[in-house]
Amino acid sequence: MNNRIQAMYALLIAVAMFVAAWFFMQSVHGGPSSARAAVAARAAAPVAIDSTRCVASAEWMKSHHMQLLNKWRHDSVREGNRTHVTSDGRHFDKSLNTCLGCHASNPMFCFMCHEYANVKPTCWNCHVSPMEATK
Amino acid sequence: MKKVLIPVVMVALLAAIPYLGVTMAGQQYLFGVAIPYAAAALFLLGFLYRLFDWLKRPVPFRITTTAGQEKSLDWIPYSRLDSPATPLQAWVRVLLEVFLFRSLFRNTKAELREGPSFTFASSKWLWMGGLAFHWSLLVIVLRHTRFFFTELPGLVVPIEAADRFIELTLPAFYMTDAVVLSAVTFLFARRLRDAKLSALSLPTDYFPLLLIGAIAAAGVSMRYLDKVDIMTVKALALNLAQLSFDPVPGTIGPIFYVHLFLVSVLMAYLPFSKLMHMGAIFLSPTRNLCNNSREKRHVNPWNKPIKFRTYAEYEDDYREKMRKANLPLEKE
Repeated sequence: MNNRIQAMYALLIAVAMFVAAWFFMQSVHGGPSSARAAVAARAAAPVAIDSTRCVASAEWMKSHHMQLLNKWRHDSVREGNRTHVTSDGRHFDKSLNTCLGCHASNPMFCFMCHEYANVKPTCWNCHVSPMEATK
Repeated sequence: MKKVLIPVVMVALLAAIPYLGVTMAGQQYLFGVAIPYAAAALFLLGFLYRLFDWLKRPVPFRITTTAGQEKSLDWIPYSRLDSPATPLQAWVRVLLEVFLFRSLFRNTKAELREGPSFTFASSKWLWMGGLAFHWSLLVIVLRHTRFFFTELPGLVVPIEAADRFIELTLPAFYMTDAVVLSAVTFLFARRLRDAKLSALSLPTDYFPLLLIGAIAAAGVSMRYLDKVDIMTVKALALNLAQLSFDPVPGTIGPIFYVHLFLVSVLMAYLPFSKLMHMGAIFLSPTRNLCNNSREKRHVNPWNKPIKFRTYAEYEDDYREKMRKANLPLEKE
């Protein structure tokens, strides 16, 4: 009997953890409504793009591009802040198009490394990938 | 407390060796290629040596641990798993032990309470912590195949996808990373917390836990915090998988060498330590033999042949004397 009670507790804890994780994800994805209003307000403001140099050094981008993209997505979609200012004062639109503006010239730019390292990013679940765009 | 402190210092020293060796002495080749190969060779040869050593020991008798009704008469139901009657049932029991830790599920704790009264109770925490720990380690090892193969093996794809299905961070958060770190913390704390257990624990109990904890911590931190160049890591891993002795193809952050060196230490240490239970579980005669001592007579093969003297022979020798003394004879 005692075994069963302990097993029930374990099951309950597991279910509770899953429910908590689910709610956590929902709350992260939903976002507050004030942010949504801010998005609508600022989305129209266009920013001049300087496309001669990347937003950060290649070395840094190699290891941190996914975090930058994630931050850009969060800032532009949830906070309505669409302008990225680099450490040396250049301005960029926080958009995947900013990246692809230069990097789409090579349709395999993203895929070469991701395939090599067996990393499957979720970008192309929604966005059109450069490989599909050139078809 | 010395028992805990010595392994802590040892793991810290072991982690410092590759860090200093790479940052100060530039020994990338030693820590990136030479030592991993040496450790892998030691692991393989040591592992095989231990297995063959155990396999060549004769096990003449059935010394099965049983926890259920033995097979006897047809109308008495018997426990197929807890007192296996055929080799197949015994192996099913071994596999269930390997994958589900059934014997740990029966774990009990004994306590001396106020009164004084001695109580036993079921204790599932070790079972749960052990399962979480071992399964995460298995998933983590399988996940690492993404470095050693150009393409992920088919079986690993769904496992890897399930592991990062809580899309929390970028790079994708792996559940097993968190589980293995919390499980190893629990298993470590378990030995410290209980007075009986800490009295039983030896430095060799703490050392593997700390070592695996340090490996996981280094791995997690180079994935999420202090990032290393994954392209070079992959190139190096492919080289190692092809058994090539080429130099390390590029520069990788020192934390990678700490991770790799600690894994090498673990591999080299494994065959000569309690971690050998990894192979031993399959060979332990208390687990993998079926309990058929009543059904089949097991004769010790190195018993010396015994010269028996039967009553018939005795009577043959003394028949005349016995007849004279009027003793009863079986054969006239």
